[in-house]
Parts: sequence; structure tokens; C-alpha cells
Amino acid sequence: MRKFLSKTLLAMSAAFLCCASFSATAALQVFACEPEWASLASEIGGDKVKTFSATHARQDPHYIKARPSLMSKVRKADLIVCSGADLEIGWLPLLLERAGAGVQRGMVGNLMAYEYVPLIEIPTSIDRSLGDIHPDGNPHIHLNPRNLILVGKELANRLASIDEVNAVFYETRYGQFEAKMNQAIEGWLSDGKELKGMQVITKHKSLSYLIDFFGLEEVSSLEPRPGLPPTSSHLARVLESVSSMNARAIVRAPYESDRGVDWIVSKANIKNLVVPYTVNGDDESGDLFSLFDRSLAILKSAL
Amino acid sequence: MKKLSFLLSLFLLGGSFTANAGATGDVEALRAEIAAMKAAHEERIMMLEAKLEEVIVAKAAVTTQAAASDNEVALTYAPKRPATNARRVKKNMFNPSIGLVFNGVYTQHETAEGEIAGFAVGHEGERGGEGFAIDHTELNFSSTIDDKFFGSMTAAIVKHEGKTEVELEEAFIQTLPGLGLPTGATLKAGRFLATIGYLNEHHEHTDDFTDRPLPYRVFLDGTYNDDGIQASYVLPTDFYAEIGGGMFRGDDYPFGGSDGEGIDAWSAFARVGGDIGEKQSWRLGGSVLSGKSTTGRESNHEKVSFLGETDLYIADARYTWAPTGNSTNQEFALQGEFFWKTEDGLYSDTETSASNVLMDDSSQGWYLQGTYKFARNWRFGARYSELDAANVPTGLIGSHLDGEGYDPKAYSAMFDWTNSEFSRVRFQYNREELAKGQNDDQFMLQYIMSIGAHAAHKY
Repeated sequence: MRKFLSKTLLAMSAAFLCCASFSATAALQVFACEPEWASLASEIGGDKVKTFSATHARQDPHYIKARPSLMSKVRKADLIVCSGADLEIGWLPLLLERAGAGVQRGMVGNLMAYEYVPLIEIPTSIDRSLGDIHPDGNPHIHLNPRNLILVGKELANRLASIDEVNAVFYETRYGQFEAKMNQAIEGWLSDGKELKGMQVITKHKSLSYLIDFFGLEEVSSLEPRPGLPPTSSHLARVLESVSSMNARAIVRAPYESDRGVDWIVSKANIKNLVVPYTVNGDDESGDLFSLFDRSLAILKSAL
Repeated sequence: MKKLSFLLSLFLLGGSFTANAGATGDVEALRAEIAAMKAAHEERIMMLEAKLEEVIVAKAAVTTQAAASDNEVALTYAPKRPATNARRVKKNMFNPSIGLVFNGVYTQHETAEGEIAGFAVGHEGERGGEGFAIDHTELNFSSTIDDKFFGSMTAAIVKHEGKTEVELEEAFIQTLPGLGLPTGATLKAGRFLATIGYLNEHHEHTDDFTDRPLPYRVFLDGTYNDDGIQASYVLPTDFYAEIGGGMFRGDDYPFGGSDGEGIDAWSAFARVGGDIGEKQSWRLGGSVLSGKSTTGRESNHEKVSFLGETDLYIADARYTWAPTGNSTNQEFALQGEFFWKTEDGLYSDTETSASNVLMDDSSQGWYLQGTYKFARNWRFGARYSELDAANVPTGLIGSHLDGEGYDPKAYSAMFDWTNSEFSRVRFQYNREELAKGQNDDQFMLQYIMSIGAHAAHKY
């Protein structure tokens, strides 16, 4: 009996060790809601993580569907990284219903980036007649590169908590990322000095953090209210503001339609700019650093 | 430390005194001896002291080492601290989400009758009334109950034969991943829209057409929401695959009249799905719903009753296409379901005085629909549904179940405007040919609007 017990114990511990070592070598599965977080996870996790992005640059993260394929991806995730602030409210809750306990709200494996950065455009009143309002503030936080450092730090913490064996690895990679990003920020700010105060018109509130970072001035938006499509009377008002102000460009993200843009561009001396918005937003924005290099270059073309 | 060495030397000195107490005589010799002894003792004390020091140092080294490794452990095995919310909670997250769906419709029919030839039809499956109606005003409360359970209740306020009634559509609890079931597994208990087919688990206000397609009307009386339990499991595969099944009281159409003894109905389903490139997504499913009506299921305005067993098999498919997978401004969706039903039991029809006639046959039906979103707020769609009734035994000829070989069919076209995700206005035209010589042109104008919390819509 005793011999049997000890043998079973031995077999069990061997099996456990085997599994433990297996899980230690298998890459951590990171499910990112948007490409920028997948890219950040790769920066910090290196080859220790396997990232998947639920959306790509030509999809509006507000409006994708909880597709079957996403359900199978989120089910296997060890860590999910999303912007939060209700950006993914139309699909993420459905996906989480079928996901593991470790990635549920409030758990280590659930990182909502907005909780770690200072938000802008926090509404003072909330009413559905005001359009698509985010009560916590503007969720497109990744377009201020300083926020990437803040979120990156927490991401490194989370990775280290989930994958303890590689804690030092994540810390080191985060340190490198932070240094590189800080240096890049200095460069962007000095290169983008002339952008300060440049007036632009936006399509939606998706670029507010970028505008904030470079000190641009948003004078008008093609959407009369967030999430509501432009009406002809509103476009006429926007056109008026173009001539009365000194707006240089209409700026939008690749997933935002050009509805109304062409009309204004044809009537006024104003540039039509599409900034990459996120990683792979165009052919030259392959990572978080080139995303800002490219955005800066595009914005400067309107000077 | 010093105390210890002092005591030790005293003891050693004491020992040497006793050993040499008897020695007297030559003082010089004694002195020399004492000096020698002293030197020897001092040497020994020094040795002992050195040894002690060694022990102490070694011990200290061990402690520091232990402390160091403790630190290392603390560094490597950081406790899994809960992710603290850095932000203040502003929303009423501890109160249930409350949502209300307004559903109003104006309907116009061409023919007086709207019977479906050859089928036993329940109340919800009948043709709707004409004129203005607030069809189904839905009230929903839902919330996580604690870390392990979620609860949701949906009541519909409806008008039924002149009276305003409250219908309990759903009242269920569901397990959350925090319960510790295997990842991907969920249990649901209470009354809920059972997971069978495609449309059944969707609330009617999310449908693409004002009314349900014919197979749903005759085979499920609109929707199957019985009291029971259901388990489902998302498989750990690379593509989406889910299996599940449920056990039910057997009180809702196509069953009915359950006396509550035992489990009168059960279901099973399997689904797979995935993406084709970045533009296309699909899902395929198969399901079974099987059960018995023990004390009789009433239909056709309580004129027809059925006692016996019913098996229903459903195959469903859905396909969506959107440019770059971005459905904001353009999307095409194609969806279809096929139903096959076998019944084995006794039918009675009070109008033809057919009583307990044995019937063992099958009927079938299907529909196919396509919707196209051509601009951010605009969609149009078309749908075709068809039924094939069972052959009736002699005893039921002339009864409601006698379709006289006619296959009911319906054509629908719809056009809708969605201002925001909370409001939609729809126009629909139906041509229903549900019985011989009964060609009904129908027009419907509907609004669906919601206030309060609004749950995310399923794929």
C-alpha cells in the first residue's frame, strides 16, 4: 500500500513537473483588442509572448462584432490588453463570457490601459442625445506616446506576475523600451515644434491625444456629435469655420470614412490627411516608434 | 561573545589549579611551571576563541545567505496581487443594468385570414394583428450576482386578446468563469432562450425582419424559452467550436402541458465558426430539440391538441462580409436555417371532431435571408421561407393539420434606417401565401428603440 502510494506520488509529481516545465516554455498568449497593445506587448514580452490583435488599423474598434474566431482566441488568452473606457463595450463583454477566470475584470490577466493614464475629454454631463459619449473620457489613449510608457510599465508588471520565471526578462525589456521611448519623445517634440498651434479639423475624436501631444488646435469636427455621421448643414458650418479660421488640414484615421471630407477639400484650401492611427495603419508604420515618426511627417506636410 | 570566552578561560584556569594544588617546594620551578601553563592556556584560549569566531562567522554567513535567498524568492515569486483599479468607479457598477426596448409597429393585411395550411400553430406563431400595436415592450434587468454568478431577467409587456399581460421571457442565472469550471464551460439555469438554431437565442428586437420566418412560427411558436438548465463548452481548438445541451420542463411549444414529473424535453447543439481572410466570417451549427407533451399541447386557438413525442432537428448557417472587416459603413450578411420535425402521437381537432388520431410523420421548413448595409445608417434585406407539411392520416382529413398538399411560403423585403445603436425604424413588405388561394400582401412600419443599458449583440 505504502509502496503504491509513494509510487503514485512520484508519478504525480513527475507529471506535475512535466506540465510545469511545459507551461514555462510555452509562450504566454496575449490577446490585444487593438494593434497598438499587441505591439506594446511584443516590445516588452519579446519572444516570451505570442500576441494576437482582435482588430486591425482599418477596423473601427468601436464597432467590430464578437465573431466566432475571436471567441476561440480569447478563450486561450493568459492576458488581455485593451484600451477600455467603453471602447470595446460592443463586443468584449460577449467574448469574456467564454474566457478563462484569469482574464476577467479585476484579475491580473485583464489589463485595461485607460486605468493607468491621465484621460482627456472627460464629459461633464452624460446624455445619449450628445452622441457616442465615453463617461470615463476619450479612450484613444495610445496616441500620446507618454501613455505607452505608463501602460508599458503596468504591462511589464502583469507579465511578471503571470510568468514569474521571466520576471527579470520583462523588467529589463521594459527598461529598454522606456529609455528608447523617452529618447524618441524628445526627438518628436523637438522635430514637431513648428506644429504647435497648427489648426486642424478632425473627423472623430479618435486623434485627440495626438493633437494634445503635438500641441495642435482642433477647431472643428466633421461629426456633429461623437459617433453621429456628418449632416449637410453641419458640413456647411464646418466649411464656414475653415474660411474664418486658419485650419490647415482635415485629419482622420484610416478606418474613418471620407464622407464629407472631399466636399470640404474641394471648396476650401485645406489638406486631406490620413494619419496611420495605429501600428500598420499604413505601410511605413510597422511599430509604435514608426507610428509616431510617420504621424509627425504627415502632420508636418500641412505646414 | 566576550563573556563566553571569559567564562571559558576561568573554567580552564580553575581546572589547572586543581590539577596542580599538591605541588609545593621549589617556587622557581613552580613559577616556571605556572608560566608555561599560562602560556599553554593562553594558546588554548586563543585557539578556542578563534574557533568560536569561526563558528560565529559561519553562522552569520548562513543567515545572510538565507536572507539573500529570501529576497530572491520575494523578487522572483511576486505574489499574484489583484490588479487594482487606478481609477475611481463612477458608474453604478454595483446596481443592475436596466434596459427598456420600445417596439411599436403599424401593420396592414390584405386578406382576412392568415392561417398556415397543414400546421399546428401556437399563439405567437399566428399572424400578428392589424393597425397600431406596441408589440413587445421589453424590460431587462441584469447584473453579475457575485464573483461566480450572473443573473438576467427579461419581461415583455404584450397585448394578448385585448388584455395587457406580462410575459416572463427570460429569468436565468449563469455561471461566471470565477466559479472555477473548466475554461470555456458555462452553466445556465432558469428560463432562457435555449441555444438551438441561429435565431432562437436572439431577442426578437435584434432580428433583421419585423416578424420571425415561417419555420420559427410553426415549429417553435416564435421562440423556445422553457424552464430548465443548459451547459455549454467552447472547445480549446484554434477555430471556434462549441458544444452543449440542456434539459427542460417541457412546457413551451413545441411541447406543452407538462405535469412537472421528470424532464420532458432535452436539447443538444454543436457549432463551428471562423474567418476567411479579414473580410469574411462564418458560423455553422446543428441542433436537436426532443421531448414529449404529456397532458396535451394546445394550438390553433385551443382547437387542436397533441399528446405525444416531438423531435426537431435544425441546421443553421450564417456568413458575413465587410470590406476590411469593418462593418461600420458596409456589410453583407447571409443567413439560413433548415428544420425537420417528426411527431409521433395523438391529435385531436374540436372543429372536425377528430379525436386522438394517431399520427407518425414528419414536416419540414427552411428560410434564407440576406441583408446589405449600404451606408452607415441604411440597410435593405430580402427573405424567403417555405414549409412542407406532413401527410395526414384519414382521421385528420379536413382538420387544421390537413394541408391538402399545399406548401406555405412567404416572401419578405425590408428597408431600415438605424440612427444610432439605440434606434431603428423599419419598413417591411411581406407576401404570404400560406394556404391555397390566400395571397396576403402585408405592410409593416416598425420602430425599435432602447433606453438604459443595452447588452452587446451576438454574432
